[in-house]
Amino acid sequence: MDRNETLPPEIELAQLLQRCAAHDSAAFRTLYDKTSPILFARLLRMLRRRSVAEEALQDVYVRIWERAAQYEAGRGRALAWMVTIARYCAIDLMRRERMTLVGDDALAEVPDESAGDPLPDKPNNFDQCIGQLPEHTRNCLTLAFVEGRSHDEIARLTSNPLGSVKSWIRRGLLSLKSCLSAEGQTA
Amino acid sequence: MKSGNRELVDRLAAEYVLGTLRGRARRRFERWLVSPQVGEIVKAWEERLAGLEPRLDKVTPPSTVWRGIENRLELRRKPVTRWLAIAASIIFVVVIGFYTARKPPAPPALAATHQALIQENAQTVYWSVELLGDNQELAMHVQSTHALEPGKALELWVLPAPEVNNGQPVSLGLLPTTGAERRALTAAQRAALVGAKQLAVSLEPSGGSPTGLPTGPVLHVAALVPVPT
Repeated sequence: MDRNETLPPEIELAQLLQRCAAHDSAAFRTLYDKTSPILFARLLRMLRRRSVAEEALQDVYVRIWERAAQYEAGRGRALAWMVTIARYCAIDLMRRERMTLVGDDALAEVPDESAGDPLPDKPNNFDQCIGQLPEHTRNCLTLAFVEGRSHDEIARLTSNPLGSVKSWIRRGLLSLKSCLSAEGQTA
Repeated sequence: MKSGNRELVDRLAAEYVLGTLRGRARRRFERWLVSPQVGEIVKAWEERLAGLEPRLDKVTPPSTVWRGIENRLELRRKPVTRWLAIAASIIFVVVIGFYTARKPPAPPALAATHQALIQENAQTVYWSVELLGDNQELAMHVQSTHALEPGKALELWVLPAPEVNNGQPVSLGLLPTTGAERRALTAAQRAALVGAKQLAVSLEPSGGSPTGLPTGPVLHVAALVPVPT
């Protein structure tokens, strides 16, 4: 594992994606070399098992190659675009494999949180807005987004009723949206 | 979009991006993603929730992963196939040369500017679609046969840029079930193709959609990419 390594520059990734859209396989290889350690770590965090994460990583890059033309260079966010594809692939794979992750014994595979660079796309005031939510809500959102847990799994993991988990998540998302848009206007 | 619908779409989009929309509800929602309005709502949630991304140590995957990707996308052609392809193109040129020498001149050939592959996955491509000569003509080639019940047809749509036709799909006509077909595009179709990045295929009654918009499920969405010159 590499610690604290910096992320590849966004502009470079955006250019590589545009070349992939034109079916440039050399650019695709470069893109893979630069980003696969980031996406693999992210998949391991959700899928926990190395063999499953390796399968998901193949799905992710097949999708990136096929959808490169849909990436809008003007919006930036090249790495965030790829991470989103990885998260969605992981969720699809969980469904396909009917995986239950609660009580999983393969936690050793999960990569450590690091002090490395955060993804370059955090909305302004995100920390302040998420900090305003009750702790149980924040916990539910993190379990869902970061680890890919379902409503049921979150309820079991946190020993809370399913109905509460669902309504905390729904209200948390609404508060987050209104807080971020209010901050966006004043900024 | 009505405001009630908008609220529902916003709620589903939020849970889709968060990952808690699962199973059949997730599949159903994915079909809505061809709508540019829904796409924009999802993108807004992706941008909002990006703040939850954890910082993780990188983990290098084993080299078998890249080999698997290469095989699935057929990025590496075997030398034998390459030689066969070269031989086939030489034969093609000779045959064409023979015919053009004998026949009256054909209408000028239009160059393909954009292409799309309508496919199930990397292994199964149903149609290759090309736009020729600055959106003057559309060429569709059947690569493998798509399953289709009797009394139904598959219709091809362009999903225009959001500012064109309010982002609503515009029909490019029915897809051929065998062989290949080439047809001229109308002014409306040409306008819808300017800046468009995606084509879609919907299941319709035979003869095509009666309403001018997709009425059946959208079965495929394909990226429309410029042909490298």
